[in-house]
Amino acid sequence: MAQGALSDKPLSPHLQIWRFTVTMAASITHRGTGVVLYGGTALLAGWLLAIGMNAPIYSAIAGFVNSPIGFIVIAGYIWSLCFHLFNGLRHLYWDAGRGFAVGMAKMTAWLVYLAATILAIIIIWAGMISKGVS
Amino acid sequence: MSSKGTPTFVIQRATAVLLIPLAAWFMIGIVSNLGAEPAVAREWIENPLNAIPLAAFVIIAAWHMRIGMGEIIIDYIHSWMKDVLLFLNWIAALGLISAAVYALYAIYFVS
Repeated sequence: MAQGALSDKPLSPHLQIWRFTVTMAASITHRGTGVVLYGGTALLAGWLLAIGMNAPIYSAIAGFVNSPIGFIVIAGYIWSLCFHLFNGLRHLYWDAGRGFAVGMAKMTAWLVYLAATILAIIIIWAGMISKGVS
Repeated sequence: MSSKGTPTFVIQRATAVLLIPLAAWFMIGIVSNLGAEPAVAREWIENPLNAIPLAAFVIIAAWHMRIGMGEIIIDYIHSWMKDVLLFLNWIAALGLISAAVYALYAIYFVS
């Protein structure tokens, strides 16, 4: 960081230096979805507490979930979980020492975006059907 | 801290592997109950076949989250705030686990 200017050691390039590639996008999205899921799990714990304690706030939470903004929040959470799940599989594949070739890494990054979007749509659609909303 | 690197790395991968089936099950199970009437959601959670995986999901996910958020804190925060945030991160993970486990206990045994 700032100390870099004071020492003779070379700095690694900062984020804005990198050319856009799908692999770097997937890496950033993995971290971003991780943060989203942190908040989502807190909401899940709050939802469970509201049920367990028969809290009046439950109806407010249910109302929010069924509102358009609530739908966007839930859909974003589901897509984040799908993405983190598939890209996590990609990371485990790397941990096994495979899939590092540039072409392969690019292809699997695109695949993760595609698979996450398809699975998220299926799950949200199935959830709406079982609630009788659609 | 450096001596803890390898166990943390292994725990992050082990929790990741456990979370694959749990997260898939969780998404399918929870979406249809989120906006449901409290009685309907309760009935779903009271079934041990749902309560046990749900508890496992929250506990394992909270630990996976703690490690991941810890990595982000170490990457970006270089001041004394780093240790404060790492501590708060532990508290958040333990608080989430405690709250969810208590809630499941209350749903099953109380009222």
